[in-house]
Amino acid sequence: MKILVPIKRVPDPYARIRLNADSSAIDTTGLKFEINPFDEIAIEEAVRIKERSGSEVVVVSIGAAECEEQLRKALAIGADKAIHVETVEKFDSLGIAKVLKSVVQRESADLVIMGKQAIDDDANQAGQMLAALLDWPQATFASKVELTDSTATVTRETDTGQETLQMPIPCIITTDLRLNEPRYVALPGIIKARTKPLDKIELSDLGATAECNVEVLSMSQPAGRSSGRKVASVDELLEALRNEKGAAI
Amino acid sequence: MSLADQATHSSSGGSFLFESHPPIAIPENFDSDVQLMADTAFQFARNEVIPLIERLDEQEEGLMMSLVRKACDLGFGGPDSPEAYGGLGLPKSVATRILEMLSLNGSFSTTIGVHQGVGQMPIALFGTNDLKSRYLPPLTAGEYMGAYALSEEKSGSDALSGSAKAVCDGSDYVLSGKKMWISNAKWAGSFIVFAKVDGQEFTAFIVERDMPGVSISREEHKMGLKGSSTARLILDNVRVPAENVLYHPGQGHKVAFNTLNIGRCKLAAMAAGQVRSALSIGTKYAKERKQFGKPIASFGLIRDKIARSVSSFFAAESMLYRTANLIDRAFASVDPNGNEVEENRKAAEEFQIECSLVKVFATETLSYAVDEALQIHGGYGFTEEFPVGRLYRDARVMRIYEGTNEINRVFAFDRIVKRGLVEKLADASPTTVIHEFLIRGSRAAKDHLGEQEIVACASDLAMLHFASQSANVRAEQLKASGHANSEVALAAASHFEAVATTTAASRLIELLDRCGLSAKVEMPAVSFAGSATVSEAAFEANGYPL
Repeated sequence: MKILVPIKRVPDPYARIRLNADSSAIDTTGLKFEINPFDEIAIEEAVRIKERSGSEVVVVSIGAAECEEQLRKALAIGADKAIHVETVEKFDSLGIAKVLKSVVQRESADLVIMGKQAIDDDANQAGQMLAALLDWPQATFASKVELTDSTATVTRETDTGQETLQMPIPCIITTDLRLNEPRYVALPGIIKARTKPLDKIELSDLGATAECNVEVLSMSQPAGRSSGRKVASVDELLEALRNEKGAAI
Repeated sequence: MSLADQATHSSSGGSFLFESHPPIAIPENFDSDVQLMADTAFQFARNEVIPLIERLDEQEEGLMMSLVRKACDLGFGGPDSPEAYGGLGLPKSVATRILEMLSLNGSFSTTIGVHQGVGQMPIALFGTNDLKSRYLPPLTAGEYMGAYALSEEKSGSDALSGSAKAVCDGSDYVLSGKKMWISNAKWAGSFIVFAKVDGQEFTAFIVERDMPGVSISREEHKMGLKGSSTARLILDNVRVPAENVLYHPGQGHKVAFNTLNIGRCKLAAMAAGQVRSALSIGTKYAKERKQFGKPIASFGLIRDKIARSVSSFFAAESMLYRTANLIDRAFASVDPNGNEVEENRKAAEEFQIECSLVKVFATETLSYAVDEALQIHGGYGFTEEFPVGRLYRDARVMRIYEGTNEINRVFAFDRIVKRGLVEKLADASPTTVIHEFLIRGSRAAKDHLGEQEIVACASDLAMLHFASQSANVRAEQLKASGHANSEVALAAASHFEAVATTTAASRLIELLDRCGLSAKVEMPAVSFAGSATVSEAAFEANGYPL
């Protein structure tokens, strides 16, 4: 089985984010970048499947030259091959899903595992859109995945509890936080990754184009949070929750 | 991979004394692979080691060994040991960076540091292929730990005066004696032991724990590093095969001292990791603790403690990676067709002056940083309820082991004189005030090698020059490359230069007076203004900002 894992380069989730001078984008000076944490969970899941049953894991990233860093890390974790669609163009979720569709077809992938969302724009769309474009079944927000040669059984986290779906392969799975805990990137893996294949291709090699129908008008920092207060008793707490505007558990 | 390509001109040991602003290797230029390795090391220390420190300090049975095994599974068992024998064959500078990030806690740092350092390096550098293949694979895999047994009850800094004996008997040596302060003794499977053949020839041996006659005493009751193991190794007529001699009989001092040269550079990395802990604990507490209605982080004297710790650490870190890279380049130029062991010995020896100075400077930076981090905690720092007390106690030994800072000071200036560097220094044109002080001081001190008070002053001048030059060159390189941190780096370098210049002036005055010379020293104006930018950046970053 060939598993494709799309990964996105995003700012370090622990970094303090600042805006640039005209508030049109975040200031990336000195900012550290990482693999989107949900995508790292997807890589971990794919590599575990590979370790259990001998699949091939291919990671793909769409973006500027620096994405190679994240692809190398994915190879160090245990992916077999990386594809870098090198481009400085802008994309929205649908644009990315369309490029990914071409990659899935080019690679004849059997399964796509990807993060449910990226922590930079939190769009939570690309996986679902890719499923629609390919006309493949999908299971989003996965917290457990069990595979046979022809089916995937996925437990999903929903607002009302857990839901278990079974779907035929090929299909798309998007990962939630509790699916697994990514491993430490072992040093021998980092060294081994240097000799693993990393294909650089362009959009035109895929017959794809950059599409972006979303325009960023401006960005702003979230408003500061006002400080809380201590209550003396449970009764007072309940009273406040019932009657004060904006109070919530 | 390494920093080797950065500084293209070749340097020999001690050339920092007279070269003016040479390009140096800086940690910011580690490639993304090394960055990833350092990240793994840091995450391992933060997530696996720090939550266990109380249990480690209680010497919970099996806990440290399992932690070290976990670390070895990730490749931390022998980053710079040869690949053919289970190591990763990484350059010393990379292994140094990894060790720094693993070293957030002193007990774990000493344990893993000794294991991958002095516990293996003598075998990697001086062992025959047979010895390497017998001992390095289990060591790097973490099957057992490595240890280094040089000191004895009556033989510390005067290491060659030990009384452990080896008597040749057929194809074996029979070893007897007591070795003291053996880190990792409890968990070690192999010991690098130094003993005198027939009471004369100082020789290095590999002794296995299971050899009949080997025993380990109870643990020492230490004031710090309570999670590490320190005990005595007792050799009661231990039969060791002659092939377990490292290098040549009678040449053990070369094994001992050259291992320690690189060990000192690595010790600086261990201090560095703990400075990072001190800075993150200190800045965080200062922001939380309120007095007079505001966080104490807003008070000048608290900010100054942080600024001095950061600036001094910036200098220490700059010296450290400059030195580690020089060592890498010395090893890289080892002739593969030459005598490997001889070439290794020369490479390990070349930068002995730098290694001693960075050991002294980094460990004294650590002492300052933990002391002030504790002071920031006020009375709470004096209790065991806060982690800073442990950091303070753990740091104390760093100025003692791997050669006391006193012996390192004496050694460094002695080498400067014996290598004829004072004459070269006399011809150099001074680049900074500290450099001028150094030129003047070393010229006066070179005829007083027997007077330790004078030698230490001269060593300090060399150390302050090395530190300040490294910090300045690094900051300028960051600025030239448009690095995001260059403004803070420049502030730290200039703040450090002000601190170092005033210290250097007082050392020079003492040196000249003790030499019976006029102690009049012209002191230029210096600026401490950089401290504001430095402390601001540290509070913003909740720790070391560079």
